[in-house]
Amino acid sequence: MPSTVKASGGDKYNNVTMSQNDRDDEIFTGESSSKVKLVTTNDQIRRLQTIIRDKNVSRSEFVFSADRLIRLVIEEGLNLLPFSEHIVTTPSGHEYDGIKFNKGNCGVSIIRSGEAMEQALRESCRSIRIGKILIQSDEETDKAKVYYAKLPKDISKRTVLLMYPILSSGNTVLKAIEVLREHGVIDEKIILLTLFVTPEGIDTLSSAHSKITVLSTEMNPVVPVHFGKKYFGTD
Amino acid sequence: MNSSTNCSFNERRLSSRSNSGDADDNVAQAVANMSVLSRRRNTSVSEPLSVIRTNKRAIYTAGRPPWYNEQGELKEAFVIGLSGGSASGKTTVAEKIIEALDFPWVVLLSMDSFYKVLTPEQHEMAEKNEYNFDHVDAFDFELCCETLKKLKQGKSVEIPMYDFTTHARKKETKKLYGANVVIFEGIMSFVKAELRELLDMKVFVDTDSDERLARRLRRDITQRGRNLQGVLHQYNKFVKPAFEQFIEPTLQYADIVVPRGGTNEVAIDLIAQHVYTQLEERNLNLRSHLAHAQIGQPLPSTLHVLKSTPQVQGIHTILRDCSTGRDDFVFYSKRLMRLLFEFALSLLPHEPHTVETPQNTIYDGRRFSGTGLCGVSILRAGETVEPALFSVTKDIRLGKILIQTNLETSEPELHYIRVPRKISEDHVILMDATVATGAAAMMAIRVLLDHDVKEENILLVSLLMAETGVHSVAYAFPKVQIVTTAVDKHLNEDYHIIPGFGNFGDRYFGTE
Repeated sequence: MPSTVKASGGDKYNNVTMSQNDRDDEIFTGESSSKVKLVTTNDQIRRLQTIIRDKNVSRSEFVFSADRLIRLVIEEGLNLLPFSEHIVTTPSGHEYDGIKFNKGNCGVSIIRSGEAMEQALRESCRSIRIGKILIQSDEETDKAKVYYAKLPKDISKRTVLLMYPILSSGNTVLKAIEVLREHGVIDEKIILLTLFVTPEGIDTLSSAHSKITVLSTEMNPVVPVHFGKKYFGTD
Repeated sequence: MNSSTNCSFNERRLSSRSNSGDADDNVAQAVANMSVLSRRRNTSVSEPLSVIRTNKRAIYTAGRPPWYNEQGELKEAFVIGLSGGSASGKTTVAEKIIEALDFPWVVLLSMDSFYKVLTPEQHEMAEKNEYNFDHVDAFDFELCCETLKKLKQGKSVEIPMYDFTTHARKKETKKLYGANVVIFEGIMSFVKAELRELLDMKVFVDTDSDERLARRLRRDITQRGRNLQGVLHQYNKFVKPAFEQFIEPTLQYADIVVPRGGTNEVAIDLIAQHVYTQLEERNLNLRSHLAHAQIGQPLPSTLHVLKSTPQVQGIHTILRDCSTGRDDFVFYSKRLMRLLFEFALSLLPHEPHTVETPQNTIYDGRRFSGTGLCGVSILRAGETVEPALFSVTKDIRLGKILIQTNLETSEPELHYIRVPRKISEDHVILMDATVATGAAAMMAIRVLLDHDVKEENILLVSLLMAETGVHSVAYAFPKVQIVTTAVDKHLNEDYHIIPGFGNFGDRYFGTE
């Protein structure tokens, strides 16, 4: 239920490897729950959120700040991907116990506003495969309808970073997950990367897909639904 | 008829000395206009020095050694005061001393820069050649004293530029910074006790008055086209009485009296030797002090390490791997830098800020609450982190400081600085790729403090630091925020970080 949702942006987010803190990290909305993780907030992230929210901000400032926030979400999202131990030798001849990320991931953006997040993913993972799904509301029935989907062939074997900046009603994302499921992707391997979510959207999502991981920066009943228009300058 | 001899005489001197050049903040530019800098080697100089000279400035290839101790406290500059009558050859003596010292961190400060701004009436008089520039009251001793004091403390100072056509100060000032030795020169430099107190060594250039008059006549008549009466009138009315009333009595304060001015090589050698002895006493072996300080202590509270997420660990693994090629090294270091700067920005002060949203709601947000923000990179490796700073800040002002390690002494040396103007209220992100002993970072912080940046407003941001470097910086500058992605335990005997990721600049630029 929305009433059990903690205040926006204030929660500590620790990465998946630190399971002892998981109770503080995850927000459970009722019995069936998606795992919602919020990026650890700080003054700078709050500042970016403020600029994105401000109706008087210029477009260039908006895009610049949105890109910064997107990059932070992408970087955090990559932390959720599987990795293994890896030891290397440094130029000084010493050993260093490191880690290496496993192959077999891909990104999927929901057109149009999800495309705003593609560049940040590309800048973090140079050769990652990126699929696209176009979903629009049918003007007569007002239901989300899939117009186009182009996904990597072996997507069923991959962990999918699904990108969509604003989760409001949740209908668009539900439709996209349906498409992924049709292509053999199971919920456990879907990570939704988003900037702003509503408690209602999370409710809708979790009642249908409790195993999906959602990463966001803020949960708030009001979300900046003008994001795509302002980002692409079509407002 | 009789044009202002005194004025133009001074103007000429100004234009060739500390007031020359544009108002740029060039390190030790005062010596850049020296006509000749001989290659005479003095036994005390260990590091060969060469000077590349362009029209506007001199570029020194031997830098300034540390001018502070391991606590970050300043060692005061050595101030030589030069006095003597007009045309006694003070300039020549100053030039000869600089020549004999044979190192670049010497600035020449002339009292002529501190003439008072004249009232309209005084200006009228000056036009008619009736204003007495050879009088104690003609100088702004207060400003002069304050400036010399700051310069002695190692601070950056603004030297006024006096305009002899309007008898006012020009809008622009000349910035002087980075002196280990200050030569302060002027006819009245020993007159006031508070000025004398600042002088570590007082030199009086005692040239025979006939000789001084002869020089003045020669200079003004042959080079300026003045007539004999005019020059003599000036001399008898102002110059001679001033010498007798103010200047000559100050001879008693001198430590050394140099007869015959610039031609007296024995005296100049003695002065240079004394300065060397004084400077050597102030020297200390900074880097080795730093490398062994504070080992085993808990890390300071001003240290902020980026959270070690799997991605951060993964990037570190790639950067540390000696088999990683340059392409990957550049790509992954850039990613890490961006995360580092986002983290650093989150440490800046913020305040609540409420905005209206397009959804017609009120949003309680945050905004930066400081006065301004600028970046300063420590060259060469610090330059590699600049693009990452640009990618997370808009229109940030950027300064640069070049510090190189002297291979003979292992000490850092300051070679070049360009710091944005008016940064005293700003928060400054000081960037270097790595911090090993902390010697270069400390020098850069010292430069910022000398430019009146507040210690608590400095963030030292670096990809990788060694524990000892963190300690050294925190010990010397406890209010500086230290921001990094990882702290390694050790340094090897070459002061490289262990395990580290090799020489960052070499791997990034491909010069290994």
